[in-house]
Amino acid sequence: MSVTREDLAAFADGELDAARSAEVAAMIAADPALEAQVQAHRALRDRLGAHFAPILEAPLPDSLTAPLRPKVIDFAQAREKRERARKLPRWAWFAGPALAASLALAVFLPRGTDDYAEGPLAEVLETQLVAAQSTDAPTRILLSFRDESSAYCRAYTSESQSGIACRDSQGWRMRMTGVGAVAQTGEYRMAGTPAAAVLQRAQAMAVGAALDAAQERAARERGWR
Amino acid sequence: MLALLPRLRRFAAGLARNPADGDDLCQATVLRALDRRERWQKGTRLDSWMMTMMRNIWIDEQRARKRRGETFVAEEAGLGVGEGGGQEEAVELSVIDRALRTLPDEQREAVLLVMVEGYSYKEAAAIVGCPVGTLNSRLVRGRDALLARLGDGV
Repeated sequence: MSVTREDLAAFADGELDAARSAEVAAMIAADPALEAQVQAHRALRDRLGAHFAPILEAPLPDSLTAPLRPKVIDFAQAREKRERARKLPRWAWFAGPALAASLALAVFLPRGTDDYAEGPLAEVLETQLVAAQSTDAPTRILLSFRDESSAYCRAYTSESQSGIACRDSQGWRMRMTGVGAVAQTGEYRMAGTPAAAVLQRAQAMAVGAALDAAQERAARERGWR
Repeated sequence: MLALLPRLRRFAAGLARNPADGDDLCQATVLRALDRRERWQKGTRLDSWMMTMMRNIWIDEQRARKRRGETFVAEEAGLGVGEGGGQEEAVELSVIDRALRTLPDEQREAVLLVMVEGYSYKEAAAIVGCPVGTLNSRLVRGRDALLARLGDGV
């Protein structure tokens, strides 16, 4: 009966079945050279284990843990990104390619907190639907959307004034007003620019896409609340 | 999977021969595992599944390197045999690192799986995808080479 190198290694690893293990153990007990080999295998295992042990203790780099972290923040970011992406192409055709941010800033001013639409403008904001309004209406609603507080907002333009108003419990609060089409055309003949500027502002305020015709009608039926 | 990361990292460092390449390998493994998580069968061992994946990624990477004509592997293997040469001097390698580098991949992975990761021969053979007898003989050859290099007294 003899013992192979495989046997010795397997014995050291505890991989032999009980019967063979007993045989090998007996031979090792009778032969110090075999005993030394088994010891060497075990010592090698201990040494390798100790060599790699620091990796187990070391802090994990971000590159490894990041993919496994819960994605709460990522979801929020992804959603925002998605909504932004959805908004842009949808409105872009409407606003036209020549949106000038600087112009918009120059033309429009933020309004105070207690400035509400009155008279005909309030009536238009409350009742007029984008899909149903006539093309020669004195004041045209450009679009309706919801802002970050979920309030309904409407962007409008007329000959004398453009702006954005949002509905709260008291009525249509003016969020932004600027010059109308006529005032603008007097010197520079830049028809359409106020509307473009309003749209750009609306885009910045909106959460989600502009309302479609059915959503707008439903919102009116609920009194814009 | 987070709990497995230190062990995956350890195996990767041994397989790739250095911790930096090991972390790259480990990251690739984590990403692939996340990508394929539906394929993991409940009730089977996640660690074995990921070790297998890591090994496959490593082998693919080795093949790709060879196709690109890089002599990276040969140089590194040679480095272990003789004195450290060139830019590798900057990295201080322990005797064990050098000894492990000289082993062929198949022997090194067998040694790592059994002697470092503590898998049984059968489990290690399943990860490598070879018969137990084959794994056993690779393991013995790898061990003998290490013992010869490190000195029997260890």
